[in-house]
Amino acid sequence: MVDEQAPTHHQAEADDRALFGFWIYLMTDLLMFSVLFAVYAVLHGNTDGGKTGKDLFSLNLALTETLILLTSSFTCGIGMIAARAGRKNQVLTWFGLTFILGLIFLGLELNEFSNLIREGHTIQSNAFLSSFFTLVGTHGLHITSGLLWMAVTLIYIAKRGLNSNMVRKLAMLSLFWHFLDIVWIFIFTIVYLRAFA
Amino acid sequence: MNDFPINENKKPSKEHGTIASYVAGFVLSLIYTLIPYYLVVNHQFSTSALITTIISFGIAQMIIQVVFFLHLGRGPKPFYNVVFFFATVGLIVVVVGGSMFIMDNLHYNMTPAEASKQLAEKEAIYQVEGKLTGACQKLLANHVVTISGGKVTPLHTNAQLCDTLTFINQDNRISDIAFGPHPRHDAYAGETELTVKKGKNKTITLNQAGIYQYHDHLDPTIAGDFIVAK
Repeated sequence: MVDEQAPTHHQAEADDRALFGFWIYLMTDLLMFSVLFAVYAVLHGNTDGGKTGKDLFSLNLALTETLILLTSSFTCGIGMIAARAGRKNQVLTWFGLTFILGLIFLGLELNEFSNLIREGHTIQSNAFLSSFFTLVGTHGLHITSGLLWMAVTLIYIAKRGLNSNMVRKLAMLSLFWHFLDIVWIFIFTIVYLRAFA
Repeated sequence: MNDFPINENKKPSKEHGTIASYVAGFVLSLIYTLIPYYLVVNHQFSTSALITTIISFGIAQMIIQVVFFLHLGRGPKPFYNVVFFFATVGLIVVVVGGSMFIMDNLHYNMTPAEASKQLAEKEAIYQVEGKLTGACQKLLANHVVTISGGKVTPLHTNAQLCDTLTFINQDNRISDIAFGPHPRHDAYAGETELTVKKGKNKTITLNQAGIYQYHDHLDPTIAGDFIVAK
């Protein structure tokens, strides 16, 4: 339990504190998502005579998105192991892969949204679609900010190399990314799978 | 291979996870994604059982990822983050569960005409301050439809308003009666779906006149109709 490495001891403690602070942020973010889930659960039947999720969603698309995000969560974890081992090139490869997968996920989601909107199913159509766009859109915004954060971090590492500060930042980024994957599992289950149950 | 040394003399700690733990988490997550997907695509159970099942799989997958990807509980000494995590989960249960409970109750008490008619029927309120609710004052004859060997007998039922209709399931499987021709699901007297477990029966009150079809949602070849005369 007690870290004997005197020079790294302080650094490790500071890292733990920073990560704990970030963890608290994630938990409050999770609370916000839970409220959006509660809203969706209450309103998903209020279609105002319009189409239900079963007619609007594609289960195959949702599964594809889920598998892509899950894989990106995995590559992110492998990238984190490389970061802790101090392997810069591997970090760039694995996190780069995570970034590309995240980008594909975001593209699929935006495509789904624009298709819905083009067919006249907008956030203003009914309570069901309002809660759907808010819940899934909020997750999409998180993915977008995660991707921006990842891009900035990777450029920094590529230019200035990997140091313990950057490893801590990557640790927070990977926590964030895993967290978004967990939130998506519930979107997949409660929004998409449930619509076809 | 090291571009620079971080804690070189520190042995790789378990608290951050190993490749093996990430692979295990990834494979388990894949399985826990594909099973509910398969169940939904093939519509294995009745709707309510399916929803319970897929939500259970979602929660299981969350636990898998919290353990294998977030490594919760393997951090440094006092597990403040674990405490915080469970406090958050508790709050979520209160917020989500409470909202759904309250809104469900609200829905039960402030409902569209057809559903309030069903409610009036259930609670045997045929009039409120002299206004008829549409519920039957007195139940008349009882008609029986038996589901056995993948068929319903009789195929056609003739009934009067305020008769009752009982579905008896003698097959060795669950039966999900939906009203309307397959694949449409209409409501009859506020009922959208009637789940009849094997060996059990369910009765509805025929308080809506007209000609109605019904079918088994899990096996649409099981179908019949009933006529309710005024």
